[in-house]
Amino acid sequence: MRIFRRSTALIAVSALAGVALAACGAGNNSSDDAGSGSGIIVGTTDKVVSIDPAGSYDNGSLNVQTQVYQYLLNFPAGSTEPTPDAASACDFATPTTYVCTIKPGLKFANGNDLTASDVAFSFKRVVAINDPSGPASLLGAMESVEATDDTTVTFTLSAANDQTFPQILVTSAGPIVDEETYPADAVMDDDAAVKANGFSGPYTIAKYDKNQLAEFKANPDYDGTYGPAATKTVTMKYYAKAENLKLDIKNKDIDVAFRSLTPTDIADLEKTDGLKVNTGAGGELRYITFNLTTMPGDSKEQKLAIRKAMASSVDRADLATQVYKDTFTPAYSMVPDGQAGATEAFKDAYGEAPDADAAKKFLDDAGVKTPVNVKLQYNPDHYGSSSDQEYNAVKRQLEATGLFTIDLQSTEWVTYSEEYNADAYPVFQLGWFPDFPDADNYLSPFLSPYDKEKSGNFTNSHYNDLDTEFADPEMTKLLDSERTDGDQASREATLKQIQDRIADQVPYLPLLTGSQVAVGVDGIKGLDKTLDASFKFRFTSLSK
Amino acid sequence: MATAEVLAPLDPPTPEPSLRRRGGVPPLARYLLVRLALLIPMMWVLVTMVFVLMRVIGDPIQAALGGRLTAAQIAERKADAGLDRPILTQYWEYISGLFRGDFGTTLTDNRKVSDILVVNGAATLELALWSLIVAFAVGIPLGRLAARYRDRLPDILLRLFSILVYAAPVFFVGLLLKLAFTPFGWPSSGRASISNELILQDVRPRTNIMIVDAFLWGDPAIIGDVLKHAMLPAIALGLLTGGVFLRLVRVNLLQTLRMDYVTAARARGISERRVMNKHAFRNALVPVVTVMGMQVALLLGGAILTETTFEWKGLGYQLSEYLIKRDFLAVQGIVTLIALIVGAMSFLIDVIIAFVDPRVRF
Repeated sequence: MRIFRRSTALIAVSALAGVALAACGAGNNSSDDAGSGSGIIVGTTDKVVSIDPAGSYDNGSLNVQTQVYQYLLNFPAGSTEPTPDAASACDFATPTTYVCTIKPGLKFANGNDLTASDVAFSFKRVVAINDPSGPASLLGAMESVEATDDTTVTFTLSAANDQTFPQILVTSAGPIVDEETYPADAVMDDDAAVKANGFSGPYTIAKYDKNQLAEFKANPDYDGTYGPAATKTVTMKYYAKAENLKLDIKNKDIDVAFRSLTPTDIADLEKTDGLKVNTGAGGELRYITFNLTTMPGDSKEQKLAIRKAMASSVDRADLATQVYKDTFTPAYSMVPDGQAGATEAFKDAYGEAPDADAAKKFLDDAGVKTPVNVKLQYNPDHYGSSSDQEYNAVKRQLEATGLFTIDLQSTEWVTYSEEYNADAYPVFQLGWFPDFPDADNYLSPFLSPYDKEKSGNFTNSHYNDLDTEFADPEMTKLLDSERTDGDQASREATLKQIQDRIADQVPYLPLLTGSQVAVGVDGIKGLDKTLDASFKFRFTSLSK
Repeated sequence: MATAEVLAPLDPPTPEPSLRRRGGVPPLARYLLVRLALLIPMMWVLVTMVFVLMRVIGDPIQAALGGRLTAAQIAERKADAGLDRPILTQYWEYISGLFRGDFGTTLTDNRKVSDILVVNGAATLELALWSLIVAFAVGIPLGRLAARYRDRLPDILLRLFSILVYAAPVFFVGLLLKLAFTPFGWPSSGRASISNELILQDVRPRTNIMIVDAFLWGDPAIIGDVLKHAMLPAIALGLLTGGVFLRLVRVNLLQTLRMDYVTAARARGISERRVMNKHAFRNALVPVVTVMGMQVALLLGGAILTETTFEWKGLGYQLSEYLIKRDFLAVQGIVTLIALIVGAMSFLIDVIIAFVDPRVRF
């Protein structure tokens, strides 16, 4: 009993002491974060899969890699033109060899020299490790890479004059790692990567708790595209829930909230005093995919008419405003507005607003009986929580024409990803976030000749499937042309032809493209500079 | 009073020496051995169920990586993870891995599950302990109060309160607490302020239990900050169990107060306060200890929602993250550990009860 009493007393005293201490701290701002003055705190709901470039290919990891690694080429603020970073120059030596010269005297933060050998090692290990979460697939165009001498790296490419290759050097496949500290055949875990300090980017990582907190310190030896960091210390706070991110930026406990606030949260924060919502070019694309082999229609012509009728019936502006509170904008091409060579092919072909008469004419001309029954599938857990509202709105819009009866169904991603690849869905939702800011990245993955083994056309639409009536050699020719055309004007002309052809064939129906949104407290500068079409969030641009 | 203590040995009678041993084994040891023996098949059933369930719901590689890799690459990954081998071989490797402390590696971010269990498990342990303190602080005194004022207004209000806190979803309570306290500057998420979390990363040796790390660092402001951050999650989760404790203490105290030995104590003129404190209340706590084992499972279940609501990056939060990513190998590891914790807690509670209540040994 005495022991019990003593324990109870101990618990009570501890609890009271705790409450007292907590109460003492309640009004004490000495440990408050955003107000500490020296650094900037950025909040995000993105997660880091791996700091090691060989083991990650996602936004959260890329965000860290952007700050701590150097690339051969990189995008300066406001540009999508690859510019020398660790390289002093890169160019095609022959149609299939791309040669980069490394700047002399570069070093990693751990003191090791950064040489051509490190560069070749970095690319080789991405391919060798071929991690399922890694970016090896981005290097499909690279046949080999060698360090010719201490300052020269030579890439051998599988296709001549591949104009997308310089862009690939800036993607998740491009960070340069320290050959002396990174294993050649395995992904390095994050704690080991931080300890190894094999970073040569504008920042190094001073403290790191995976997906909880990371503290970045400016690297005084950085010599690259981004220039010197405007802020010496940036802390990244990782949130589990967007509502907590919103609450903390609203209370100004953090300085910046970047990815991913809901449209409703953003609308609310816009009205909050002391905060500024910054928007920039977005690359995300939301679209409907037609499985050309299983979609409704008795013939190729009828199927095309149904696709065209749907293209004439959707109201993108309504979806953008009603569902996404204008954080998304209408997409009138598979290449979003803002990318070099983007057109508005669908607007030109089907108009800006829905046109039920035009839709009816397409169907009547092809002899399609109305209403057309369409089984429309969407996914509620992979493309954001608003997919449900978005596809219910699409259903309403299509049915409002009186030409369609929509059987709307949703499936969880695990099953969804299996079933759309097994031709189970005739018409279905997909989304796309680009690997690099080039029009080709919005075209080739969707339109290349169908190849299940190489995942050339990953959507399983059967468009350009060589074994079917939907093969499109003309499209293949156009894609090959734009990829290898070094002349910007003629390349853009080819890109226009491709986009017009998509609008004419409608294997996909682009709906919306997303803007990048970052909310900053008053006094934070540079957010507008980093929210550009390169999709790289640069801490170097931020200051307060 | 002195007379009563001389006359009446009110504690349960000491067993006869003849009852102490059966087959030469002391009853306590026999009881513990039986419990331990029962624990092994229970653990085996638990881990087997986790293994089977994780395979019944689908192929973990397809679930985690489907849509990102081709069929051939998926097959290659399955082979790498050993999932193309016979199910019994996989099962044997899973079980033998558990004995080695190897819970596997996550599919989506290549982390050792055992590392997650150490880092995030510490956070969950801390939250569970804070919640238990809240549960005891709320449930025991209020249960006693309710029993004392049986069927009167305080009792009715407290019973309503207990039902309310038990029935209300923990994330809802969490949300209400956040809405109520955040406007007054109370932290709504995290285990400490960002700057203090950064400071505590330098503590050596680091336990990942924030309050311990804060004490090791020795700055009272940081200790206060950590306690302040723990308050709302602990209340949200602790109230859930506190409601159960409240009702248990009340019911058991009322039952105990009707027992013959309590009536005898009263008849001997012992004050009501002493009857309550010395004779009734202590015995009424035994069932609370019994239920505590089950409450640990409830706490761990509730931790999933509480941790996500309050950004408390523990096992529950990590479990929900891996569920979202369909990383069923990670889920399997975490669920197995939770099952083992619940099993171990159940055994521990049995041991405690054996000491607190000698009747169970016989």
